[in-house]
Amino acid sequence: MALRILGAQDDVGERLRAAIAGALPGAAVEVRAGGAGHFELRVVAEAFRGRSRLQQHQLVYGAIAPLMAGDAAPVHAIDQLVTEAPPS
Amino acid sequence: MLSEETRQRIDAAIASAPVVLFMKGDRRQPQCGFSATVVRILDELVPEYATVDVLADPEIRDGIKAYSSWPTIPQLYVKGEFLGGCDIVKELYGSGELHGKLGVAVPERRVPNLHVSDAAAVFLREAVARSDGKQVHLRIDRAFQNQAYLGPEEPGEIVAESNGVRILLDVMSAGRAEGLVIDHVETPGGHELRIDNPNAPAAVKPAEPSVRQIDVQELKRLLDAGAPIRLYDVRTPEERAQASIPGARLLDADAAAELEKLPRDTRLVFHCHHGGRSQQAAEHFRGIGFRDVSNVSGGIDAWSREIDPSVPRY
Repeated sequence: MALRILGAQDDVGERLRAAIAGALPGAAVEVRAGGAGHFELRVVAEAFRGRSRLQQHQLVYGAIAPLMAGDAAPVHAIDQLVTEAPPS
Repeated sequence: MLSEETRQRIDAAIASAPVVLFMKGDRRQPQCGFSATVVRILDELVPEYATVDVLADPEIRDGIKAYSSWPTIPQLYVKGEFLGGCDIVKELYGSGELHGKLGVAVPERRVPNLHVSDAAAVFLREAVARSDGKQVHLRIDRAFQNQAYLGPEEPGEIVAESNGVRILLDVMSAGRAEGLVIDHVETPGGHELRIDNPNAPAAVKPAEPSVRQIDVQELKRLLDAGAPIRLYDVRTPEERAQASIPGARLLDADAAAELEKLPRDTRLVFHCHHGGRSQQAAEHFRGIGFRDVSNVSGGIDAWSREIDPSVPRY
C-alpha cells in the first residue's frame, strides 16, 4: 500500500501520520490537508479487520486525540475519515 | 485527561435513560447544526430521550470526547452503547438500522408518486443547475411541516422523479409524500414553492400557515397594545446579556416546562437573533398542539435596526 502524504511540508500532517502509525502498527496513512486545521485521513490497517466502522474510527480518533485536545489544538477537524482493512 | 469523577458522571448520564444525546444546546434549542440534525432524527423516532448540554459543562464537553474516543459533538448513546456522531446517525437512520436500535418498526422503502408542476420544474431545474452538484431534498416532519432545500445527497435517501426533477426524501418523509404536489407561484413578496400534501391533517394545509411570520413592527404594535401574547427569547443567556427586547422571557428549562402546561390557544411569539432558531422553536410548539404561534422574522437584529437603536446589535 503506497504511503502518500500530501502537504508533507506540513508538520501537523506528519504528526497525525506518526500518531496513527504509532497506535496501529503497519498502518498505511494518507493525510490530506484542507483549510487551517482541517484534514482528511485515509487509513488502511490490519487492526480494523473484523471491527465495525465506528470501532475503526474510534481507534483512529483515540490515536490522534492529543492533537485535537484543547482550544489551541493543531487539528481542528477531520473533515473526512476513511478506514479499511487491507485485502486479505 | 478524563478524571475519575467526570467518568463517573458520564457513566451516570448514559445510564439515566435508554437514549442519551450529548449535544450543544438542548432538544428545543440546538446550538449547532450537527446537534440539530440528530435532534430532528430522534424526534422522528422516539417521543422521549435525554440530552446533556455540553456547552453548560466544560468538563463533560472535554470528557465525553475522551470517554468515547470521539472528537466531536454530538454523540448518541442508546442503551449504553455509543452509536456515533451526526454523520453515522444519519447513515443509520437512512439504512433503517437506527430504527432497530431504538425498537421502532423500520418503515417500508417506497418511492412516492409526486407531481412537480411545469412552473416548479423550471424553477427547480434552474436552481439545481446553479447549485454546483446539489440535489433537491424535501423533508416532511411528523407535524407535516415541509422543508425543501438544496444539498448533497444523504445516505439512504429515496429518489422520486417527476417532470424531469429528482426529489430526494429520507425514508420517513417518503412515507408521508404519496400524491404530493409541488407548484411554484408568484406572491406579493416574490415567489415561492407551494407544497400541497394530501396526507397532511387539515390544520396544516397551506391555506393556513402553521407558524405565522410577524415583523418587528407588528411585534411592537402587539406589545404597545398590551396584547395577550407570550413573547419568548430562544437565544442563549450570553446573547441575552448583550441585548434584549423588553417583555421577552428567556426560554430556559423552567420557562419551557411552564409553557408546555399552558392552554393550547395561548398566543405564543418567539424571537432569536435573526429568526432561524426561533422558527425551529415555534415549529416545535406548533407541533405539540399550540394553535396560535408566531415567529419574529428578522429577530432582535431587526428590532435594533427598525424599532429601538438603543438595543445593541451584535
